[in-house]
Amino acid sequence: MSYTFTILSPTDTPLFTHDFGTSRSGGDGIPRFTSTERSLIPFILHSALDIVEEVQWGPSTSAGSAPMYLKHIDKYQNNFISCWITGGNVRFLLLTRPRDEALGLTGGGGGSGQKGSLAGGRAGMAGSGLLYSPTNPATEEAVKNFFVDVYESWLKTIMNPFFNVGNGDVVKSPVFRARVAAAAKKYL
Amino acid sequence: MKQWLLSVGGGGEGCMCRRPESPARTQNLHGAPLEPLMTPMQHGTPRPPSYPSDMEASMMLPKQRASTASSLSSLPYRRSNSSLHKLFESTLSLSGSRPSSGTATPTPSSVLPSSTLSPGSRQNGTGTPSSLPPGVSDEYRTLIQRAFVPHVAVLADDASEALIRGKGLEGGLLQLLRPFGETVPGKITIRDSIGASKSHADFGIRFVDPLGLAARSHATQADTATRNSQEARVSTSSMSERRTGGDVAVIEDLVERHLQYSEYNSHGMAAEYAVQTEQSEPSSSPFYTLYLRRLLSGLPLATHETFAHPVASVIAVSSRNPNPTEEFRRLYSRQREGDLRLPQWVDNDHLRYYVLVHEEETGDIVKANQIYEQMKRHFGLNCHLLRLKSQQCISSDDDSVRLPTSQAVVPQMERNVATWNEQVLSRRRGISGRFMSLSKRWTPFGSSRSSSPAIGSSNSNYDPLQGFYRPDAPEALMRKLADYSFMLRDFKLALSTYDILRTDFNNDKAWRHYAGAAEMSALSALLSTAPQSTKTRAESIDGWIEAASYSYTDRQRSAAPYYALRTLALSLELLRLRSPAAADDAARWASRILEVGLVGPVGHALFTERVSACYAVRTGLGTLHFGSRRRKAAFWAVMAAESWFRLDKALQAEKCVDLALRFYGVRSENAVSQLGGVINAIPFPAMQAFIDELRQEILAMRLRFRGVDGAEEEGGHGSDVGSATLEVEQSVTETETETLDRSPRAHRKSLIGAVAPGDPLGLAGEGGRNDHFE
Repeated sequence: MSYTFTILSPTDTPLFTHDFGTSRSGGDGIPRFTSTERSLIPFILHSALDIVEEVQWGPSTSAGSAPMYLKHIDKYQNNFISCWITGGNVRFLLLTRPRDEALGLTGGGGGSGQKGSLAGGRAGMAGSGLLYSPTNPATEEAVKNFFVDVYESWLKTIMNPFFNVGNGDVVKSPVFRARVAAAAKKYL
Repeated sequence: MKQWLLSVGGGGEGCMCRRPESPARTQNLHGAPLEPLMTPMQHGTPRPPSYPSDMEASMMLPKQRASTASSLSSLPYRRSNSSLHKLFESTLSLSGSRPSSGTATPTPSSVLPSSTLSPGSRQNGTGTPSSLPPGVSDEYRTLIQRAFVPHVAVLADDASEALIRGKGLEGGLLQLLRPFGETVPGKITIRDSIGASKSHADFGIRFVDPLGLAARSHATQADTATRNSQEARVSTSSMSERRTGGDVAVIEDLVERHLQYSEYNSHGMAAEYAVQTEQSEPSSSPFYTLYLRRLLSGLPLATHETFAHPVASVIAVSSRNPNPTEEFRRLYSRQREGDLRLPQWVDNDHLRYYVLVHEEETGDIVKANQIYEQMKRHFGLNCHLLRLKSQQCISSDDDSVRLPTSQAVVPQMERNVATWNEQVLSRRRGISGRFMSLSKRWTPFGSSRSSSPAIGSSNSNYDPLQGFYRPDAPEALMRKLADYSFMLRDFKLALSTYDILRTDFNNDKAWRHYAGAAEMSALSALLSTAPQSTKTRAESIDGWIEAASYSYTDRQRSAAPYYALRTLALSLELLRLRSPAAADDAARWASRILEVGLVGPVGHALFTERVSACYAVRTGLGTLHFGSRRRKAAFWAVMAAESWFRLDKALQAEKCVDLALRFYGVRSENAVSQLGGVINAIPFPAMQAFIDELRQEILAMRLRFRGVDGAEEEGGHGSDVGSATLEVEQSVTETETETLDRSPRAHRKSLIGAVAPGDPLGLAGEGGRNDHFE
């Protein structure tokens, strides 16, 4: 599986982007996007913001509290997007591109249809054990842990008095990048 | 000047494919008075294929086009193109747009390009229930309603066919009648199942030749006829193609030809395309409208739906015939049992309408009247005397179609609906019907449910080997009832009937029938004016669409991608019109079309554009536009631009890029330079870079096209084109300096390479697959 993690400012500017692969089940942590997918990713992430806003401002699903972790919110073809939103309206987006085998694409395609996501696209594969499913509790939990760790590092970064997040400063800190990578390695 | 101006051009909804190589023929039909056996070649001096001066006057051409056409025809290179232009224009415009004033002679609909612009004018309270969002036109709903109209088979004897061919209408009586059926003038009042009357001003019927007889018989006669063989060949080929429908590849081909034409004639025709888009909905492309219309034209004769089955048939005999009554009888029996019979799954007991064709010049009207009286005695009221004259028509010709439609066809359909409703449907719906269907399923021998229904199990009316129901089986009658009420726009009855049919077909494992019923359930639910909650929509309609598209393609051995495409395309349009909340679903179905690969490259680009349009409908709430799909619309517009670019369609690509920039909130560079404003960039640097690159390449491509025919164009364009050229040149030099060492097309990153996997028909991949590991 390949991932792209992006932090977006409230004005939709990307502040930080990190690509990585899975480290689970013998993965080497190297992303495997094709060049096509790579140029598509900014567009997918950007268009997912429509859905983020809708979920963010729409009727709350968890009574009373407004969760920061919005879970899986959008997909385009085989790219699944999860979101975490901070108090300052900074969006963390994680794009997941499962391997083709994990989507059941190599073994004869098809699969029983399932209601599509908010965004539409091919109906997701029904989650039978091996297949990737963004709403699988284990997947959700792993992504959540990742986001929590990144959020902690993010808070520490923006507490830096020389870092002006409101101005759209891009995160350059190598420490932050290392921490994101560590969290990715740990959970994803 | 009154003429029989029956246009070949705008006439047939079913004109699938019009060959541009017959300019002379078109001109004959539009221009010169039609005299028997006159061909354009018999003029003393060969006429140049531009418009004669009297033509221009009678055709009411808009000023701008007239000047374009004349300037074009003054150029030697363009000479053939002015008539070509005409042809393209005529296929593009909506047919049946002639003014519906009572006795007016129909002008060729092709001269009214504005028809596509004002489709809603014919609307009379049957529109979409919820008020439409601003900027969204009801165009497609009208289009869909007008696609499912009663079909009337036309059968004429040899004498009358020859007579009409003598007047220059190669298609015979069918071609003569066809344009009149597109919109029956005046209001047609229809009583629905509960007895409420509703009148529709845009009702139409479609004259068809279900067996393709006209083309066939004409081909055999072509040798003996006294006209040049070239012409005969052309018209025959166009004729036979016209009858076929349901072939996606042909539609692609046609639209591609239009696109190509607009691409290379960017100052003449394309100006018009541009005008059309401005006035109709800004996000809908005229090519998409064209695509959809061709998709719906010429519904094929199929086992699982009865829309194309004739509701009535016209039997015509010429008054020259020595014994017309006998000829009527002969044709009737041939059609009923003989060689002219339709396939056995078509119900053959439909209404027959007898027409006596009389020509004023040669025939004796007294004698014709006598025969007509005699006919009335023999055949009852369903008779008509059609009087033709070479230059003008005697009877008010609109009535020729209106009277039969309002007095015969519609009442007949109403009667049928009522009868079947009473005899078949209510019996099936009542207690005993339910019991019967249960007992059918649970036979004491226990065979019907578990085993496959293969070997004609006696308790099912479905014939799985040949794949149809006998026309007198209750299921077939119910389908017919549902289709009739759908055509008569009683969507409520249609929906309830399709509901029952779905379960029946499902039990019989008649998958294509099942898919058809599901498709029509969804369409009638979406077309009905009753309000629907989001919940019912999500629960039922989505399910039906899903079931239909699945059963049409994956579930059976012989996939029917045409029907699946029709299901998805129509539902997406209707959903889009429903409410902004449904736009997400609409976009989902549109992207399903792309992913399943139901369309070829042109369709792919068009439907990508359509996804963008679907998202664009959703504008969001309040001042902050929460829940809008602006970014998604922009994303899909970029994708569409990329698709067009790959198809070498610079104009379309540029339009899409501009649209995308508008959605992104970035004004295009032209506008900025005029207004002196600041370009606010797209926040994502990678996206900005990609779009900039795409724009430049599109401009380069336009310049390349301009280079192809640039030499002839000096006189043609106005100041705006000139400035555009300048701009193109500038940016091209930029591109070239930037990409000195690499060819721009080979290495540019592409969005389309990511073709959706799971593409059973293998149509979607448009050469983008190979660069996965670039």
